[in-house]
Amino acid sequence: MDISGLKEKIDSEVSRIGNIEDLKRVKVSILGRKGLFADYIDQLKTLDKDLRRDAGKAINEIKSWADVRLGELEKHFNDIERQKREQASLIDITMPGTTPVFGKKHPITLTLEEIIRIFASLGFAVAEGPDIETEFYNFESLNIPSDHPARDMQDTFYIRPGVVLRTHTSPVQIRTMEAQLPPVKIIAPGSVYRCDNDISHTPMFHQVEGLMVDKNVRFSDLKGILSIFIHDMFGPDTPLRFRPSYFPFTEPSAEVDIGCVICRGQGCRVCKDTGWLEILGSGMVHPQVFRNVGYDQEEITGFAFGMGVERIAMIKFGIDDIRQFYYNDIRFLSQF
Amino acid sequence: MKVPIEWLNEFVVIDIEPEDLAKRLTMRGLEVEGLEKLAPRFSGVIAGTITRIDAHPNADNLSVCSINTGREELTVVCGASNISVNDRVPLATVGAALGQDFVVGRRKVRGIESFGMLCSEKELGLTDDHSGIFILPDTVTPGSVLADLSIAHDTVLDVSVPPNRGDCLSVFGIAREVASILRQKAKLPNFTLQAYGDGRAEDEIDLAIHDTNACPRYVLKLIKGISLAPSPFWMRRRITRSGMRPINNIVDVTNYVMLELGQPLHAFDFERLTESRIEVKVAQGSSNFRTLDSIDRPLETGDILICDGSGPVAVAGIMGGENSEITGATKNMALESAYFNPFSIRATARRLGIRSEASLRFEKGIDIDNVGYAAERAMYLMHELAGGTVVKGQREIFEKRESRTIYITYSNINGLLGTHISRDAVTRALRSIDLHITKEDENGFIVSVPNFRHDIGETADIIEEISRIHGFEHIPDTSPVSVLKPQKLTRKERFLNLIKEYCLGTGFYEIINFSFFSVKDIENFLIPGDDERSRYVPIMNPISRDWGVMRTMMIPSVLRCMAYNLNRGAKNLRFFEKGKVFFRESAGGISERTMLCFAITGRQKEYSWKERHPDYDFFDIKGTIEGLMERLGVSCQVGATTEPFLDHGRGADIMIDGIKAGWAGAIRDDILQLYEIEQTIYCAELRFDIILEKGNLTLQYKPIPRYPQSTRDFSFYVDDGVPIAILVEKIKGISPLIVSVGIFDMFRKEMRSVSMRVVFQSYEDTLTDERINALQEQIIGELTKIDGISLRA
Ligand SMILES: [Zn+2]
Repeated sequence: MDISGLKEKIDSEVSRIGNIEDLKRVKVSILGRKGLFADYIDQLKTLDKDLRRDAGKAINEIKSWADVRLGELEKHFNDIERQKREQASLIDITMPGTTPVFGKKHPITLTLEEIIRIFASLGFAVAEGPDIETEFYNFESLNIPSDHPARDMQDTFYIRPGVVLRTHTSPVQIRTMEAQLPPVKIIAPGSVYRCDNDISHTPMFHQVEGLMVDKNVRFSDLKGILSIFIHDMFGPDTPLRFRPSYFPFTEPSAEVDIGCVICRGQGCRVCKDTGWLEILGSGMVHPQVFRNVGYDQEEITGFAFGMGVERIAMIKFGIDDIRQFYYNDIRFLSQF
Repeated sequence: MKVPIEWLNEFVVIDIEPEDLAKRLTMRGLEVEGLEKLAPRFSGVIAGTITRIDAHPNADNLSVCSINTGREELTVVCGASNISVNDRVPLATVGAALGQDFVVGRRKVRGIESFGMLCSEKELGLTDDHSGIFILPDTVTPGSVLADLSIAHDTVLDVSVPPNRGDCLSVFGIAREVASILRQKAKLPNFTLQAYGDGRAEDEIDLAIHDTNACPRYVLKLIKGISLAPSPFWMRRRITRSGMRPINNIVDVTNYVMLELGQPLHAFDFERLTESRIEVKVAQGSSNFRTLDSIDRPLETGDILICDGSGPVAVAGIMGGENSEITGATKNMALESAYFNPFSIRATARRLGIRSEASLRFEKGIDIDNVGYAAERAMYLMHELAGGTVVKGQREIFEKRESRTIYITYSNINGLLGTHISRDAVTRALRSIDLHITKEDENGFIVSVPNFRHDIGETADIIEEISRIHGFEHIPDTSPVSVLKPQKLTRKERFLNLIKEYCLGTGFYEIINFSFFSVKDIENFLIPGDDERSRYVPIMNPISRDWGVMRTMMIPSVLRCMAYNLNRGAKNLRFFEKGKVFFRESAGGISERTMLCFAITGRQKEYSWKERHPDYDFFDIKGTIEGLMERLGVSCQVGATTEPFLDHGRGADIMIDGIKAGWAGAIRDDILQLYEIEQTIYCAELRFDIILEKGNLTLQYKPIPRYPQSTRDFSFYVDDGVPIAILVEKIKGISPLIVSVGIFDMFRKEMRSVSMRVVFQSYEDTLTDERINALQEQIIGELTKIDGISLRA
């Protein structure tokens, strides 16, 4: 069997390949089932053992070489083909992309969820109550007497005598304490209503109320918890202060201020030149409130706090007109 | 309350800057909301002495004055008539500036040259008084620059007094707090009341109180021979800076003492009191009474009345009567200083709609121990200002009360606050605000509460005082000692979270509307009277008729919101709202229900360079609901709707387990017009309570089939009367091997043609063509059995 010249023969055929079709044809004629090598392999069978081994080895070497040659060539032609295709389908990548549709949460919801997230991580559970409340839950039980100015028709929406649109989420405190024994650790988000409608008041707005009642709950705990909240909500470097205040249902009561985010404490119109912004009201639960729900005020203590969601959102996002939240202008909503 | 520091300084030595004082008051719980620095709004004004006044030769109402400034003698033409020779007056010299933009020039007035002008208090911005030239005290030396004098400078604190701190509604009350801050002791004004004459008040006037609960203390004093005149500058200035208006010396003194000590006073014309007697009564029944502002006021049972021998002369603590008021002719005056029951005063003031400075203080509760002192103080000042003779003695009824005492332990204090305040510090703090320890044991002490502190009644009140004096900033931040328990989301929260997530992912913008709407909305939506949505809950005192009742459905407010945006150029909107609706129930009950509302209009995008987006249609809103229901594990069906506000060609009820859970569809165009909307809006409203009940969020893995799926397509002619859902349900029911039935084409030539793709899948083996063919025959057989369906070849 003569294999001399085989390599040269293959080489000359391969060098004449000009395109991918030639390549396919030549590949079949060399490596195919009835191709060049098939002949040789048939012939090998006629040789005796020793010769067969040597010749077989030589043929296999040439075959591997041919495989590689044709493989390289195939890759070369494929590359050319791809380049042609890519050239043909060239696009202007600066044309606008097709964005998937997506919606947005209302900024009140965003803020509310943020508040709930922080307090949930501190072990507070969410509690709820009705929007239409009795005067008992909205006022009396919270130590707000019947001749208190907050109960005027000028401030509170009445459904009928004795029934109001809740003016704060604090009634949820009472409902929760009536329904369960201490310990209590809740936050109560929800809509509240007051007879007001101007640049800084809407007749409906949102509040989050918080309440923690247990043995040995201290004013210092209130400070600790609210400091964690404020630093999470407004950033760890936010200055804050607790300032004595008055609420009928807490004592001592504290107003919590944060350093004005507009002027950084220098004084501006927003903070009325004080450098501080009121952010929430809080205090130790008034003993009368405990008596009203039948808790033993000698045994347990607690703190409560409440904040306006719109106010926090306004400070966080720099919104200057509270009514914006309720126009639901798409140009407003799309900013959050 | 407005507190001039110059006045405050009389009771306590203010040795810190006003800004610092404001900050420290704020941190004490008396928030200083404003700090007004009064600086001279003029320059070039000096003090001069009038040496000569001549009538102006050419004008009757002008005079020509010579003013000695210490250095020179200037001629000034003046129109005021309150000046006389030797008066010390402010002279604005040529070039002086008064206020923002007035510069005094040298000018001829009716032929006489004037070298400046004499100024009124108003022209100098000191008070509102423009009745004449400001006569300076004789102590001011001629030539002094007025802007340098202390009368031109002050700082006024605007203190927000908490509603429970009536004791701080006076300059002295604030001074008590300031003294505690500055570790001083506030000093009451020092004066000696000189009374003359033979008579005694006890012989001249009678006093009786019918109900000492309504009025536990009443003091009457007399002064005779007074003459009404304007008050001196110093008093008018303080009254003005405190936010009130000076009237005359008698009225001003009553206001001045009220501002100074917190005790409202009332002056009667003594001669007009019938039978020279005062009786304090509680009204029984209704009557009318003319108050000094000439208005007839309705009196009711429970009002406290001050009466003379013939009837009411004042509504106690609120307003005097026309019949006994001080007039220019008044010579002899009876002064009332009293304590009235705060609750009665509040009720009467509210009913009459009068909130005066006096009633405000009575409502909060004044210092019953101060009633007599305030009367003497007023008598002293009236005598100083209006002359006359103070009659010796007084009429007084005083039902004294036990002073309140409270026992408290140190562990009460430090336990509640989380502090380690020492016994000494506690004692010092309380003493600084006149709470004195009367008895002590090893654990605690008894403290007595002065009568001016109406807000202190139990231990918590004492702890509050200690905490604010100790300073909140000195109380540490701690973590509660209880174990932190992680909180699980409630089922409701999990559902709401998923719903919001779904809405966000499907391109809905969340909106929030008020919970109120108008009865008109119910009419607009043609809701019949027997529908629960017409059982609205009205608001007694709504802000406007548009927000007159609690909403019973979401869609009207959502439509308004769409109209708002459409009017502003938006064309394509996808809105979603979660909110409450409210219904009146029988027996006066009210129910609240959470609803979900979806509304879409226009198309997904206004334009795209690749393709045009189709306009939204019914199937977009239906698909939104179907997708949501699938997400929440609810199976829902649609049914024919009877909602009167839906376009019945494109509306449906949404049913869950045979219960109506809401509706979806296009709102009738005539209703949209009522909301000024011209393009089609597709909406849906769903009851969250039903979804919450029926939904299933359990996640459970089902094995993925190991064998391949097969599909077959079918086309049928289907009569319009046959709902496609029937075909789909029929096919699904044929075999459990049929895992999905989809519609991939529908067109209408002479008949409606529908093409469906059916997917076959076995979990046990690969389905053979034979089995699928058999199922295919079965499908065709079952469907063509139905009237109105035939196979399309
Ligand atoms: Zn600021």
